[in-house]
Amino acid sequence: MNRRAIRKALNLLALSLSGLATAIGLFFLGAILWTLIKNGVAGLSPKVFSAMTPPPGSSGGLLNALYGSIVMTLIAILIGGPVGMLAGTYLAEYGRTSRISAVIRFVNDVLLSAPSIIIGLFVYELLVVRMGHFSAIAGAVALAIIAIPVTVRTTEDMLNLVPQGMKDASTAMGAYHWRTITSVVYPAARSGIVTGLLLAIARISGETAPLLFTALNNQFWSTNLLAPMANLPVVIFQFALSPYPNWQQLAWTGALIITVSILILSVTARIVVSRLSPAGRR
Amino acid sequence: MNETQEPTPEPRRTSNGNGNGNAAHGGNGAVPHGLRPRGEGGLNLKPSGRLNAIPTEARGTAPVDSSAPIENAVFRCRDVNVFYGAKQALKGVSIDVAPRQVLAMIGPSGCGKSTFLRCLNRMNDTIPGARVTGSIVLDGRDIYDPERDAAQLRARIGMVFQKPNPFPKSIYDNVAYGPRIHKLTRSRAELDDVVCSSLTRAGLWDEVKDRLGSPGTGLSGGQQQRLCIARTIAIQPEVILMDEPCSALDPIATARIEDLIDELREQYAIVIVTHSMQQAARVSQRTAYFHLGELIEVGETDRVFTNPRHRLTEDYITGRFG
Ligand SMILES: Nc1ncnc2c1ncn2[C@@H]1O[C@H](COP(=O)(O)OP(=O)(O)OP(=O)(O)O)[C@@H](O)[C@H]1O
Ligand SMILES: [Mg+2]
Repeated sequence: MNRRAIRKALNLLALSLSGLATAIGLFFLGAILWTLIKNGVAGLSPKVFSAMTPPPGSSGGLLNALYGSIVMTLIAILIGGPVGMLAGTYLAEYGRTSRISAVIRFVNDVLLSAPSIIIGLFVYELLVVRMGHFSAIAGAVALAIIAIPVTVRTTEDMLNLVPQGMKDASTAMGAYHWRTITSVVYPAARSGIVTGLLLAIARISGETAPLLFTALNNQFWSTNLLAPMANLPVVIFQFALSPYPNWQQLAWTGALIITVSILILSVTARIVVSRLSPAGRR
Repeated sequence: MNETQEPTPEPRRTSNGNGNGNAAHGGNGAVPHGLRPRGEGGLNLKPSGRLNAIPTEARGTAPVDSSAPIENAVFRCRDVNVFYGAKQALKGVSIDVAPRQVLAMIGPSGCGKSTFLRCLNRMNDTIPGARVTGSIVLDGRDIYDPERDAAQLRARIGMVFQKPNPFPKSIYDNVAYGPRIHKLTRSRAELDDVVCSSLTRAGLWDEVKDRLGSPGTGLSGGQQQRLCIARTIAIQPEVILMDEPCSALDPIATARIEDLIDELREQYAIVIVTHSMQQAARVSQRTAYFHLGELIEVGETDRVFTNPRHRLTEDYITGRFG
């Protein structure tokens, strides 16, 4: 009886502690979201999506920043996605046990956790200094470098989940390894790979530091990839630190837009996992 | 080893016609291994020489069965050894695979049946650290000849696995996979024909003809296994290897697959690994018994089951162990 009482008490203690931890975590998450919504929604208007970033004191929107963010993210994922997928394929399929793979995996993990500001500085040295000015393409490259390790990791993990029996079946039919990968392994891992790409997009679309050193900002509408380009994170950074109320308001709204977009991406990723995966699956 | 030409027409002390040589064998197991049968026994001592467990008769790696060399054999395997790293999983196996016949391989778990099967289509190549020595000849050339392309070889040898493993594709695309990658058909109509006839021969057509576009993974286990067989015969292999194809299936599905094997036998050489002695007896014409990586006995299925020549075989089929 006694022991049972102790067990019950311990159980209750553990339950309340973990409940408390969850509550604290959720509280801050909720508080952040609430603050964002409260302050951001106030500034939401069609003008946000149709006007350029304004000078201090006058009204304007975020169109150029939105455009810049989308363009740079897209270019980044167009560069980083394939590179990351191919590298992940190498790790999972060709070099699974080789020594070089172990090295690549290690370096990739380092890159995965490297502070993004370092990557910004790196691209600054690599491109900005040489070109002599900030540019959208430099920003895209910096984002690509951040996207690569994420994609490598998810691709490798997803390919490793494909059952060996399925690969063996293809090999035993006389398929070459590349054919097995493209015709059997990729389709089987499709939903996982797509999710990985979506998560990589979500990851880079909020990055500020690398863009500060590369794309910087642009007050005006610009589609020139070789010139500085406005983007949401840097605009938010500058506007939020400014003393002008209209800029501060736009910063809140921009933050809300980024958060909601990332939320939508993540939810889409989850839906993709459950829907797009081949029926019956593994 | 000694069997490269043909297994020695044995002076082996196999039972003198009556099944009761076993009593003698029983005694024999205890005989010190120094007492190896004459001649080749001495030469035969492998470096790995495990000196226990196998009674002296089995010491030679030649099949105990004297009918072993087969005239027009599809595969001629001589002294096949397989190593996984330092561990030897198959020891000097020599056996022929006859055309239009089912060869069943039985033996306790871990005795190397799957390993041997995987030698025949070079699937061991895909296992890191696996090494195969000896010779396996298919139409006059060693399949491990470095000149030979493993993928093209595998295209001629179908394999059905223990666990049904359809691709995450539609039923149609599963069956069309092989013909497509080997460009066996020239038109869509031709491909349709191959898919239809393969599914028909695998006994699955009627069940799936209305839903060829739905995923192969959505079928039941038995249907999936028949789909895998259809997928295999769609590339018109010369040999079909089956590794416990029914172990995940219920008796009805098993019966269907066995019927199918019986039909396929008219056209293909089939090698099947099974844990069910009844299944071996039902579907095969020849049976090989493996024990701890060695081929102990091979012969006509009826003979092996009614009159095993080796004590280990007898122990196994009478259920005394394994
Ligand atoms: N990939 C591998 N790596 C290392 N050892 C292996 C590997 N595959 C098999 N072996 C070993 O080789 C021996 C033979 O294995 P194999 O799978 O051929 O046995 P089996 O007769 O098919 O057994 P079962 O009836 O259980 O399927 C076993 O001792 C096993 O541990
Ligand atoms: Mg096996």
